[in-house]
Amino acid sequence: MKIVACVKQVPDSTTKIKVAADARSIVTEGVTWSISPYDEYAVELALEHKDGDPATTVSAVSVGPARAKDALRQALAMGCDDATLITGEGAERASAGDISAALKGAIDLLKPDLVVCGKQASDDDQGLVGPALAALLGWPHVALVTKFAAAAGGIEIWTEVEGGHEVWKATGPVVLTVQKSAKEPRYPSLPGIMKAKKKEIPEHPFVAADGPRIEILKLEPPPQRGAGKILKDGDPAALATQLVTLLRDEAKVL
Amino acid sequence: MSGQAGGLRIWVIAERASAGGLRRVTSELAAKAATLAQGGLVTVVEVTGERVSTVAAAAALAERAGTAAPDLILVGATPTGRDVGARLAATLKQAYLSECTDVRPADGSVEADRVLYAGKVRATVRTALPAVCSVRPNAFPLPDGAAEPSVTAVAAAADERLTFVRSEASAASGTRVPLAEARVVVAGGRGLRGPENWVGVEELADSLGAALGASRAVTDAGWRPNEEQVGQTGRTVSPDLYIALGISGAIQHLAGMTSSKVIVAVNKDPDADIFKVCDYGVVADLFTFLPAFTAAVKQAKA
Repeated sequence: MKIVACVKQVPDSTTKIKVAADARSIVTEGVTWSISPYDEYAVELALEHKDGDPATTVSAVSVGPARAKDALRQALAMGCDDATLITGEGAERASAGDISAALKGAIDLLKPDLVVCGKQASDDDQGLVGPALAALLGWPHVALVTKFAAAAGGIEIWTEVEGGHEVWKATGPVVLTVQKSAKEPRYPSLPGIMKAKKKEIPEHPFVAADGPRIEILKLEPPPQRGAGKILKDGDPAALATQLVTLLRDEAKVL
Repeated sequence: MSGQAGGLRIWVIAERASAGGLRRVTSELAAKAATLAQGGLVTVVEVTGERVSTVAAAAALAERAGTAAPDLILVGATPTGRDVGARLAATLKQAYLSECTDVRPADGSVEADRVLYAGKVRATVRTALPAVCSVRPNAFPLPDGAAEPSVTAVAAAADERLTFVRSEASAASGTRVPLAEARVVVAGGRGLRGPENWVGVEELADSLGAALGASRAVTDAGWRPNEEQVGQTGRTVSPDLYIALGISGAIQHLAGMTSSKVIVAVNKDPDADIFKVCDYGVVADLFTFLPAFTAAVKQAKA
């Protein structure tokens, strides 16, 4: 099977995000960048399939500025076979429409059987690229995927629903947007890192697509919550009664 | 098409609860849409068909939207709603604003509030109409005594490329309300020491009619299913009441729950970060406090 894994480089989840002085962007200085967590799960899902079927190839593709090469290097170190960066003027602030159009260009050349990406990137949290890419390709997509497996005449796909999973069958090429699953993404191995260092990462030119634009009017940190009332004196029953009284009479949520 | 005299044409995409009725978020959006349409037309549309994929649902909706030409399409930011909304917007080549907490259409565009960076940043954004917005459950109040809106059915065609095979229920799932839509969430962390201690958490949740949540440490350890994880790489929730039991308050967890209206934290460590964001904190041993609290809640509710 030929798989393309789309990855986006975003601020690492442990990074504190600061809004820049223009109130329309974030401070990028001092930010640690990494693969968006759900994209990492997508790479893992693809590599797991490759573990069980050595004929499978996994190509990583990213749209972004030059630094996004580090995310692709990480994907290669995890075990992807090759990587492509789509970059150039405007790639850093590409919209979901731009990104899905750019990915479609790369996928048209690579001609995979399956495309995987995260269910959303952890920067803009929009959750649009996967479905939009599938719409452009004219393929179906399945969201919130935690597992897939080859089956007679296609692949079976596990999608998370409230209260469990549903299994769907795709008979042709499909885009999967991946949800966190029990299987944690693998760490790059030392030989993997050494091999990834030597690999060429070809660059394709980024071109912004036509399409609707979303303008950011204002960014701000979430409102600071004031320090609350702390209850610590008394036995458990007394504390419980105090808390219930506050929730009922003051907060009015009981 | 948009901003014409006579108000806006607004669509609300309906979602049905497994029990049969419309989901609460659908009614919330229909009530809100009525106030936004300003004399225009609100249509609640529901995709019908057996085991319809989100792709087939979006295709049917896109076809109908092609002739009905709504200015604004609202859908609940549930797992299904978000997915249908995204595919529909892409198919219609319209902007998609996801997980909005407010939407304000005016003068041919729509302004919306949403959160970025898994809750670490709040954004006000604007795009031209027509557009598709998914809106978080609990973002808009449901007026008391609001009647369930009437729906217009849109039949989806079967899509041979993607077909339903079977359902697999998760062992831990019960009959509780879905986490995304819950008005009350009771979440447990590592302070509970092991999955066997969730009996007490469940008892408290049931006495409050609450959904269950968990910290990442707990779902990663396999004590609870992934779908209960609150925070970055889990769900973002904004219930009326969030009760954090034995959760220390890592930045990734806080990002997913600090927009809750009232936060209660119970932890034996008085320096736990969770106390910095809570409205009511209890410094106590969970194992003696939890049964007392559950009993007090039951008594108050009786």
